[in-house]
Amino acid sequence: MAEMNPQLDRRQFLKLAGTVGATAGLGAFLAACTSGATAAPATAAPTTGGGAATAAASQAAASATPGPTGTFNWLTWGDHWYQAEMDAIASSIGIKANITSFSDNIDAYTKIQQVGGQVDLVSGDALWVPHYYESQLIDPFDINSLEVASQLFSIARSFKIWTSPAGYLGYPNGWAPIQITYDPAHVTPGADSWQLLLDPKYKKRVVVEDQPVEVMAYMGKAAGVQDPYNMTDDEIAQAKALLVQLKPNILRLAPQATDTVAALKNGEAWIATINLGADTAVMDQGGPKLTTFTPKEGSIGWMDSEMLVHGGANQNLLMPFLEVHEQAEYVAANFMINRRPLFNEKAYKLLINQGQQELADHLLYNKPETVNTMTLKGPGSSTQKVIAAFNDVFGS
Amino acid sequence: MARKAGALETMPVSRYARQTRWGLMLLTGVMLAFLYLPIAFLILFSFEDASTPGLPITGLTLHWYQVLLSDTAIQTALLTSIEIAVVVTIIASVIGTMVAFPLVRGGVRAPGTLRLAFTMPIMIPGFLIGIGLLIFFRQALHLQLGLYTVVAGHLVFTIPFVVLIVASRLQGFDRHLEWAAADLGASPWRTLRHIVLPLIAPAIFAGAVLCVTLSIDEFVITFFTIGPQQTLPLYIYTQIKFGVTPEVNAIATVILVTTLSLVVLGSVLLAGGRRLRHRTAE
Amino acid sequence: MTAETREGAAGSAPLAGSSNSIGARLGRAVPALPGLAVLLFLFLVPMGIMFVFSFWRTNNDFKVVVDWNLDNYLRFFVEGTYLRTFVKTLIMGSLVTLSALAIGLPFAYFLVRYTGRMTQRVILLAVIVPFWTSYLVRVYAWQAILGENGALNQFLMGTGLIHTPTDIFNYDDPGVFLVLTYLYFPFALLALYASLEKFDFTQLTAAQDLGARPDQAFRHILLPQIRAGIITACIFVFIPILGEFLTPTLVGGAQSSLIANLVVNYLRQAQFAEGAALAIIIAAFVTVVMIIFRKSFRVEDVVTSG
Repeated sequence: MAEMNPQLDRRQFLKLAGTVGATAGLGAFLAACTSGATAAPATAAPTTGGGAATAAASQAAASATPGPTGTFNWLTWGDHWYQAEMDAIASSIGIKANITSFSDNIDAYTKIQQVGGQVDLVSGDALWVPHYYESQLIDPFDINSLEVASQLFSIARSFKIWTSPAGYLGYPNGWAPIQITYDPAHVTPGADSWQLLLDPKYKKRVVVEDQPVEVMAYMGKAAGVQDPYNMTDDEIAQAKALLVQLKPNILRLAPQATDTVAALKNGEAWIATINLGADTAVMDQGGPKLTTFTPKEGSIGWMDSEMLVHGGANQNLLMPFLEVHEQAEYVAANFMINRRPLFNEKAYKLLINQGQQELADHLLYNKPETVNTMTLKGPGSSTQKVIAAFNDVFGS
Repeated sequence: MARKAGALETMPVSRYARQTRWGLMLLTGVMLAFLYLPIAFLILFSFEDASTPGLPITGLTLHWYQVLLSDTAIQTALLTSIEIAVVVTIIASVIGTMVAFPLVRGGVRAPGTLRLAFTMPIMIPGFLIGIGLLIFFRQALHLQLGLYTVVAGHLVFTIPFVVLIVASRLQGFDRHLEWAAADLGASPWRTLRHIVLPLIAPAIFAGAVLCVTLSIDEFVITFFTIGPQQTLPLYIYTQIKFGVTPEVNAIATVILVTTLSLVVLGSVLLAGGRRLRHRTAE
Repeated sequence: MTAETREGAAGSAPLAGSSNSIGARLGRAVPALPGLAVLLFLFLVPMGIMFVFSFWRTNNDFKVVVDWNLDNYLRFFVEGTYLRTFVKTLIMGSLVTLSALAIGLPFAYFLVRYTGRMTQRVILLAVIVPFWTSYLVRVYAWQAILGENGALNQFLMGTGLIHTPTDIFNYDDPGVFLVLTYLYFPFALLALYASLEKFDFTQLTAAQDLGARPDQAFRHILLPQIRAGIITACIFVFIPILGEFLTPTLVGGAQSSLIANLVVNYLRQAQFAEGAALAIIIAAFVTVVMIIFRKSFRVEDVVTSG
């Protein structure tokens, strides 16, 4: 009989703990459900860009008349914002951003296609922006009506692909070409072509991304294809042949930039395809000094922007938000965190004042016209066939 | 506990009993070490200087924990993940256990088919379930997405695990215990509550633990069914362009240390309670 | 008094829960209703939609348009890569399942036989709590261990066992096998534990009293009674591996793609019709196997006495 009692004790305890836990959990859950916006209140001390945050915030507060306040929903990448900035904006003009993240344009597009106005602001790359517009998912706007737009490079305000009769399609954020980086200690210096990836000397020393469409696009570029996102069957066959050559060289198909940087950092990989600027990350973390180049056959690249989702319930908050969020101080701080070029020209001048000109120039910050030399990422007509080819090469 | 020790003491000791016991203990220890080996590295990387987790270690710092403390976004994401996991576990454990009874005891016409049907969600990749639910919720039901749609999505693939585990425990359950209770005058409900459930509690516990594990790290289905909210896996998995920093190692370490402490604390409290009861019973 | 009796004999036993009237049967089925509702509305209906999609095709606009065809299904059989990769995945899944069982069974046995209930729960939680941290972060840690300049190689070279870094785990299948075993071991363990926990160890005593050797007792007394648990453990490990695409990507190299990688390549680019067909073929295969071996998956209760 003594055994029954311990069981009761334990059951009582578990029952109590369970009830408390369940009530707490359910209560918090219901609260979260009904509130919708889960942005936390502004914290006191920002980390990086602290000075910039307060400067820009006070500037915005001084110049703006008290406008609408509230919370809006933003579907974006992690490098478009940082916590200290969001806290400062929330406390200065009372607009909070409820941020959900995504990784590929296609994911965001699928989501927006289905949920529409449940999201207010969405970020997207290059040729995806007109695609959103053609699918009637976003609202164009007059970019010159925003004061802060005068801080942009003039080229950024007049991209043809982002212009429509009804207005500009997205507020420009940043850009980067895909480059090839290599460790000159192990790789013969002087390479300038996509063919470097295919050199049989470098078995299992190359890292590319686990993105079938992108990798096939690289091979298309290497084969001399003009438009690697809309390839003909012949061009796909050529690209596939090169992919077969590439396969034995691949150490791994990296799912994230972290993996590429880590592999370069610890010396497992000698060659990799990267976004502009990732090589500085490797060197900063104790990795080898890398050489980077843009392949002569032409490269792929992206440039992203913020788009106003059609039917968003909080669209009135977006312009006031952008007026503050896109200020040069925040943009400069963002550059220092994420290390890739942005379209804000005034931020470039700020960076020079902060003594960062060398880094900014190395990352081509003052050359936004480079985007015109890149093949821009976007939805293409050869997606399905390209995936089939990729599966054929990388299956067993 | 007392009964188990009794069984061991009265058991005829076979020639190999002691070696078997030590061998098994060794195996358990080695396996635990194997399971915690990557955890040791995980914790190590949370202290490393570089902004990409991995070897070589260039220096140690508490910087990432500081970042974690002021990063309200990731903290909110973690809390949301926990909320969802708790709700999903409670609902799935209850619903799954309820399904197991008719499944095993002949309440349904085609138990084999039903069991197969409940195994199907495990066969389908999360992507497909996520997309299917997104289209279903939005185009068929015109629902606004939110945390409740995430819970619904998680229930789809956690309930089968509970059903299968509890059903395998119920199979071969000694019905004589229930019949004896009925003979003594207990209603079916009392029998269930005082005889059956305590005896299958370990299976329900195992199922519940599995639910938490499955739900708390679920990314794909969550992405497609969530509204304007964020969970921890979403935060981590979507940093594809620029990579994760050791801050995620820091939060993983915090989760690990907190839950392990709670487990240890809980077991110490319960063991203390039992000792107290024994003492007062004497 | 140890003979198992089939359910037919149960009819002659005291009647709690064995009445056959319509009302009683309906009453017994009621508890299954919430689960059935979830299955029907949250799984079967959405999957029905995807099933229909699989016969259509995705256009350049990432919309699935009505265009009845079997191309998406034929693709699996006509292009050799899918069959080959599928076979490889079956082999990998079987190996992982076997190793998870081989380690999980002694582990669970030790827990149930030699430790008290509270210790069991603590150890089980100790096993599973690390799995509540992010999968990605844990697999990154494995990369740091298994890589060319990783901890394992550094250890082996430092102790002089090898002189050049070993290549076995270097982003290849053995690494995927190791990490998959690591990831799915707790699932097998929990399933085996739940089933083993009910076992009455005095039966082994009795068997040995009657002259059986320990291993005979084990094989003829213990294993049949936990067979349900073993099968559940197999289901928990093998089937999800057919859907595993992250581990081959993170720990495997260019040659380590499993079938789910090929399927997800389509789904990730919103080619839902094509991806759905491939996923359905795999699910159909598993379903057929489970139907063929349905005798092993028998769920009807067998009444044991003693």
